[in-house]
Amino acid sequence: MTDEKVIEIVNQSLADEFEVDPETLKPEAHLIEDLGFDSLDFVDMVVVLQQAFGVALREEPRVREVRTLGDLHRLVIDKKRELEAQQS
Amino acid sequence: MRANSPEAVGTARLEGGFASSMAIILMNIWVPVLMILETAIGIAIFPAALLIWRVVTRWSFAKIMRHFVWIYGRAWMWTVSPFVRFELAGADPQWAKRPCIYVANHLSFFDIFCLAAMPVFDVIICLRSWPFKMIWFAPFMRLAQYLDVESLPWEDIEGRTGAFLGEGRSMLVFPQGHRSRDGRLGRFYSGAFRLALHFDVPVIPICISGTDQVFPPGRHWLKPARIRMECLEPIDPRQFKGELGHIELRRYVKQKMETCLASTHA
Repeated sequence: MTDEKVIEIVNQSLADEFEVDPETLKPEAHLIEDLGFDSLDFVDMVVVLQQAFGVALREEPRVREVRTLGDLHRLVIDKKRELEAQQS
Repeated sequence: MRANSPEAVGTARLEGGFASSMAIILMNIWVPVLMILETAIGIAIFPAALLIWRVVTRWSFAKIMRHFVWIYGRAWMWTVSPFVRFELAGADPQWAKRPCIYVANHLSFFDIFCLAAMPVFDVIICLRSWPFKMIWFAPFMRLAQYLDVESLPWEDIEGRTGAFLGEGRSMLVFPQGHRSRDGRLGRFYSGAFRLALHFDVPVIPICISGTDQVFPPGRHWLKPARIRMECLEPIDPRQFKGELGHIELRRYVKQKMETCLASTHA
């Protein structure tokens, strides 16, 4: 899966599951201040992305460092690559 | 002058416009003056009323405060009634017999007062922080044990909700989190639906329309309007299973409310 495809799926998941306006899904968008996420949204976001990509995020310490949508993209891309490396 | 002549139509419009302007002027004198009077009288008699209620009803102070808030809302409804037509549909007094989570759309500051039209008063309202910072509201809201969901950690909200529901009380949540600026249903947050699933209590949607016409964001004067509150059938959360069942429940409730509000506007 290409990085662009990962970004597309992440954005689509956020738009669908959290009713976020797709126009606001820019990499520099702050999840809390710009996209209006609350603490519960972060919990749900982990579950949604785990289901979308098959990667384990719940116990991933880097989730706590995610601040922007770009951070989230990079985290999911890295986790996806790690998973693909393990599987090959 | 013939009834449908341009002069007659123009005169009718002029007279209608004059009556409408007079109503607006009267409303903006009558309502603020009476609300200030009612609030001042309410604050003055509050200590004595609290003690009398306590002796007569044996209710807790928190429940008495919630009753007072409901009475204050009724007073507001009476005050604006010469200018605002209220309609309540679908509410069932039987709902007071078991706890539930009411979810309402949020159009105006006055939504909370309109909820006094409901046949139940012992409801814990979940709000953002700003009303708790208003010196004339905060003490009463804290006494009523309303929840500041913006400041409290989720574990506290869940714990207190469990306690209230266990005592047979209901909760009221505005899942949008803030007033709609354009009258449409904005994004719904999932907290209320998570609670409904966790504690296995029904969700009762309340569709409010018209309150944004009385005092919309950005306008600084009141205007006559028609307010309608329609309560939909209770929704059993158990049909929404899985780790993200609360998101499905949220979507379902929002879709029901959108349909109701669309038919109201039509």
